[in-house]
Amino acid sequence: MKRLRAFVNGADIQRFRTWFQLFAFVLLVYGGYLYIDLGNSLPVFACGFNDAGRGGVCYLLPLQHQTHIPWESLFSWRALGLVFGFLTFFAWLLVLNKAWCGYVCPLGTIQDWMTALRRRLRLRYSVYSLESFTRLKKVKYILLVLLILIPFAIGNPVEGLPHVPEDMATPFCTICPARMVIPAFTGDFSQWTLDFSTRTALVMTSLGMAILGIFFVGAFVNKRFFCFFCPMSALQALFSNIALLKLRKDGGKCTRCGDCYRVCDMQIKAIADDVERKTLIEDDCMMCLKCVAACPEEGCLKATFMGIPVYEATEEGFFRRLQRRGGE
Amino acid sequence: MSAAPQGGRRAAVLAQQIRESAQALATLEREFPDNPAAMDYFYKLFHRVYCEGGRAQPEGTLVGTTCVQVPDEIVRAAGGIPVRLCSGSHAFDQAGADFMPAKSCSLVKATLGLLQDERPAWLDTLDRVVNLTTCDQKKKAGQMMEELGCQVHHLEFPPSKESEHARAFWRASVRDFVRAAERMTGGRVTRASLRESILAVSRAQAAYRRLQRLRAESPALLLGKDAFLVTNAYFFDDLERWTAAVDALVAELEARREAGISAALRRAPRILFTGSPPVFPNLKIPVLVEQAGGVIVADETCSANRMLNDAVSVDEWNLYDMVDAVADRYLKPCTCPIFTSNGDRLRRLLDLARTHAVDGVVYQAFAGCQVYEMEHHSVSRALAEAGLPCLYVETDYSPDDVGQLSTRVEAFIESLRSRRRRRQ
Repeated sequence: MKRLRAFVNGADIQRFRTWFQLFAFVLLVYGGYLYIDLGNSLPVFACGFNDAGRGGVCYLLPLQHQTHIPWESLFSWRALGLVFGFLTFFAWLLVLNKAWCGYVCPLGTIQDWMTALRRRLRLRYSVYSLESFTRLKKVKYILLVLLILIPFAIGNPVEGLPHVPEDMATPFCTICPARMVIPAFTGDFSQWTLDFSTRTALVMTSLGMAILGIFFVGAFVNKRFFCFFCPMSALQALFSNIALLKLRKDGGKCTRCGDCYRVCDMQIKAIADDVERKTLIEDDCMMCLKCVAACPEEGCLKATFMGIPVYEATEEGFFRRLQRRGGE
Repeated sequence: MSAAPQGGRRAAVLAQQIRESAQALATLEREFPDNPAAMDYFYKLFHRVYCEGGRAQPEGTLVGTTCVQVPDEIVRAAGGIPVRLCSGSHAFDQAGADFMPAKSCSLVKATLGLLQDERPAWLDTLDRVVNLTTCDQKKKAGQMMEELGCQVHHLEFPPSKESEHARAFWRASVRDFVRAAERMTGGRVTRASLRESILAVSRAQAAYRRLQRLRAESPALLLGKDAFLVTNAYFFDDLERWTAAVDALVAELEARREAGISAALRRAPRILFTGSPPVFPNLKIPVLVEQAGGVIVADETCSANRMLNDAVSVDEWNLYDMVDAVADRYLKPCTCPIFTSNGDRLRRLLDLARTHAVDGVVYQAFAGCQVYEMEHHSVSRALAEAGLPCLYVETDYSPDDVGQLSTRVEAFIESLRSRRRRRQ
């Protein structure tokens, strides 16, 4: 057991993650061809518009449908769909917590591939200043609120207020880059179009195309560019403290060297600077565990599952990884 | 001053420096029984360099550094050989008094004294210095080094380290330093050369950490006076050779542990050393502590732990990220008292005390080192709260206070002993 633990802690989590991500990507983007269906409440961007290949569906799609109901129905059997949808989502989340983002999300994986490409081209990445970072991280919560409120407003018109058009039924999906990017992997480019049928549809699909463009540029220069704005990340963050997989820190052992912060794709400064909190999953965290791998202090950072350490910072592991990665 | 009498005076200073080095080595080597055989490498190294006028480094452009926060990796990547100029010599301390006010720090004075006129043989080709803008005295010493004929790069260091501004400022400073180091050495910092130097330094750090890990064991396997000599050697020794010598020491100590041989008695009070750095030949306080029966098992000083503990972590092994990674390593974990707050230093001390089962702390402050003197208050309060007795010693490089200090140190060690007995 001790040797197994030493092996795991000395392992290169990034390599493991790369392969795991590839596996998850194939499962969620091409799984449909193998009749795999993990349901439609997945806490990742397994895009539902990828009709042929999808091995499961992103929870945000049914969530927008389910909140598109009149007020009275909220207290009827019809609301059961909403409840069960959420419970399934919650059950998935409970297991992997935000590691869904770092290990499973196909859109996240695509961004990591773009990062790998940039790194090969030896181009420097860009980062947000701390001020804009603090401002930008609120965007995802706004998107989350809107993607629930807008469909709900369609079903519940308020006297005196302008009517929300039916084309806004899945407002987030229309502007989500995954709707265009993920189906493209199965050769389906039908989403890469502007919808001229109504003015609303035109505006929304234009916005979607613009965001797609921004996505490609942004994800190339900024690590995990889109994840800062992801409403799924916001939804997960609301419950991440009760999930079973946790990222824990022993502040007493921390030298605040910042090694964890500097490798963090999500620029989470608290991982280095906070020496008070025992569990440190910030809302942007994707639990990729690069921070644990980059921590040279024995047992300072660790990932635990139901309290059992699964991956832990060790001195030996740190220096082994450094020599190995640097030697490549 | 005319050349002749000055030359005579300088010869006297150099002779005095050799004498005090030989004396210090004799104490370290002969007054303690049963030193590990692997320590011979270090005794001989110091003897060769400090007493016989030998060199330790391979041929190449020497680049003097005056602070542990100067990124060695960059100097090495540019093809230079970094040597740390912080001197512990009383002879140089007196010579350096020509430049600095009487009440200033011995270490800064000694460094200036070292660079004055004729150098000791191991530094005779040195004329390039990287001076970090850390404490006021070091900052001002930079200009005086220029007056002494050195080509000085003033590496700008921020006065606080918490904010992102400080980090950005320091990164810019280090990026400039890459160019400056290239100008100093005529070499080029490339992706391959920087990667090589980061890895070489990290191998040395890994060896140091293995040694430090062994020091956590009880009974102690290595005396602090030897540990300080090992880390002092890092100032000027060839990097690969130093790493190999530390590995050999680690292997020997592990074998000694299996054989049940220890460096101190199980009941010897275990000491954590902090404050102004012990630099050879001024290992006065560590030697007094261990002559009194204590054993230094850990330290929080810039001549040892702070120099070697913290590691560079690179995310993307391209030049842009490696340079920033090196910069981050030299700012964020630094526990130097020049910074605005010292929370990190306190936590570091408490962590070392816990992991090394420490009985008491010895805090050395060089007279004139204001920042260490000022932090004494908060450090001793934090230690008191943790139930750790602390001996605060204000001293300098002069041997005059040894008699008085040995009484205090002995009393402190004795009080730790009786405290331990009471607890048992």
